[in-house]
Amino acid sequence: MRRFGRIGSVIIAVLLTGTLLAACGGKTSADGKVHIEFFQNKPEAKDSFDKLVAKFNAENPNIEVTQVNPPDAETVLLTRVVKNDEPDIVGMGATDTFSVLSQSGIFEDLTGQPLLDQVNPAYVKQVTDVTGMTEITGVPYATNANGIMYNKEIFRKLNLQVPKTWDELIQTAKAVKAAGIIPFYFTYKDDWQTNLSFNALGPNIVGNDFFKARRADETTFKDHFQEVAEKMLALLDYGHSDNFGKTYADGNRAFARGEAAMYIQGTWAIPELRKTNPDLELGFFPFPTGNDPNKANLISGVDTLLAITESSKHKEEAAKFVEFLLQPENIGQYIEEQTAFSAVEGVNQDDPAVAELKPYFEQSRFVDFADHFIPAAVQLNSITQSFLQNRNIDGFLNTLDTEWDKVANRRQTP
Amino acid sequence: MARRRAAFYWMTIPAVVLFFLFHTFPALQGVYYSFTNWNGFGDHYDFIGFKNYYYLFQDSNVWNAYGFTFKFAVVATIFINIISLLIALGLNASIKARNFFRAVYFLPNILSVLIVGYIFNYLFSNVFPIWGAHLGSDTLAGNILGNEKFAWLGVSFVAVWQGIAFNTILYLSGLQTIPTDIYEASNLDGASKWQEFWKITFPMIAPFFTINMVLAMKNSLMVFDLIVALTNGGPGRATQSISHLIYTGGFEGGEFAYQSANSVIYFIVIALISIIQIRFLQRRETDM
Repeated sequence: MRRFGRIGSVIIAVLLTGTLLAACGGKTSADGKVHIEFFQNKPEAKDSFDKLVAKFNAENPNIEVTQVNPPDAETVLLTRVVKNDEPDIVGMGATDTFSVLSQSGIFEDLTGQPLLDQVNPAYVKQVTDVTGMTEITGVPYATNANGIMYNKEIFRKLNLQVPKTWDELIQTAKAVKAAGIIPFYFTYKDDWQTNLSFNALGPNIVGNDFFKARRADETTFKDHFQEVAEKMLALLDYGHSDNFGKTYADGNRAFARGEAAMYIQGTWAIPELRKTNPDLELGFFPFPTGNDPNKANLISGVDTLLAITESSKHKEEAAKFVEFLLQPENIGQYIEEQTAFSAVEGVNQDDPAVAELKPYFEQSRFVDFADHFIPAAVQLNSITQSFLQNRNIDGFLNTLDTEWDKVANRRQTP
Repeated sequence: MARRRAAFYWMTIPAVVLFFLFHTFPALQGVYYSFTNWNGFGDHYDFIGFKNYYYLFQDSNVWNAYGFTFKFAVVATIFINIISLLIALGLNASIKARNFFRAVYFLPNILSVLIVGYIFNYLFSNVFPIWGAHLGSDTLAGNILGNEKFAWLGVSFVAVWQGIAFNTILYLSGLQTIPTDIYEASNLDGASKWQEFWKITFPMIAPFFTINMVLAMKNSLMVFDLIVALTNGGPGRATQSISHLIYTGGFEGGEFAYQSANSVIYFIVIALISIIQIRFLQRRETDM
């Protein structure tokens, strides 16, 4: 009796433990379909991709694609990679986060694959420039533009022309301010909004080759970014009364309601603006960074690329979905809804709001964002936000160099 | 008897195994990674000994985060305990609708921190500036969460607002352990309310004061979700707490191993502070 009691306790304990552990196990697919997870980072684009996913699933009964679009998506993606729980396809920008993941071997090398045949080589080069690798780890899909939106109605009312030089930009802002209207609606409570002017001024005034030299420790921000910093500060005089108290969402609402003449923002915000005010008459012009109109390039980067993870067990089906998205009919639908630009050649964006940008794309007069080359651990956004508030140029440039050096020291060399 | 006791030990095995697997083992893994340069992705990393710990002491962002975290934690702890004790004294008195007020004051505790954060984000952005403008204050006419110098006050205000509820409950339960006949005796001796508080009430609830101070300090030192909801560590890094730095540096920044080292030190710091606090306050308990 006693022996059975003791043994019984042990058996029950082991069974309970086993039962609890088994409950943590994963489930296997029972419907015979191949399940593909498409992890995508743009909240603005969720609806557009939902439509395309539904269309693909209807055309391919044996495959089921699911879109996952969590808040703070890039950080969620990184935490999942740490756990080796990677989605099959990742849609994200060609940023430093993408660069680090690529260098760590997370994504499949697509060099020589037919998926890249229709893609503009300039954007493929942007991808490899950011990663610093010869392998091509993502298919550029949709691109964006960073610049300045303006309210056409306000411009007509004040008889203003679209500025093409820095001096004209400042004169325009002064005229708007004199008329009692907000020249620029700044949204600097969100720290990523403070890097928009940095991203436009840096590549045009300094050039993105700076970052290759910086990676090789051959130059410094202190030596080259003085003018960028000065111009970032100059704009602050033409904001509103609470530049650091308003967010991106506040700014979209305010600009859509015609509260400001101009809005330093990217094209990604246009769909959001139209949700608030479908009748908004907006235009978009490249950021005039200097006084030679012919030297000002449009800032345009890969807003969404499509990468297939190396660990995916369904690479063929994943590639099929990517190929589907790249078809002119489907990417045309996407860029129309998102007011984005196509990385696939021959698919044009005809929205009147961004008509002024067309020549820049046709002539390949565009360069990538500066922040795509800066390691995420440097936390550029925090540094620019702090700088614009304390207005200390030397502190700003020294901090950029210090943080860059710290992170470079700590980082694995690829 | 001994055999019967053995059965109870066996019953704890499942819980111990689960705790080890999901808590102890991951924590030990974190310590292991703190000696590497792993970025969290892929399979390659090198052992670098104590380099991460060395870098931490050179990193002004880490010192900045500790500076904010301690300033915030001390202010929040003091205000939470003073206000919650005052509220508990009020709720313990013979007032009308006492149970109703107890429920009202407990409400902040059951709300999600993120929900509270977003509500106050809206208030700081759209409501308080209007009040500030009426007061004629330039500073308050703007969103103070966007002000490098004052954002920490906004964060502290919300943390205190939410943190009071839990501590009030503990003080209330402490106050109810005091026998009423002691107060009757002191009344006969002509003691004033002030004397009554410092000579009877406070010494009697000293253990509750100790645990409330330790809990408020520990929770404040670990502030994270409120930071995310209100300021995301901004403006700049003005309100970046250690836990927020570990999260953004480790996951957003791709410096998993480096921030693992940061979290090891963080754990040691919090444990030390809690131990010192308990020892100090418990010694004062016996002196009363």
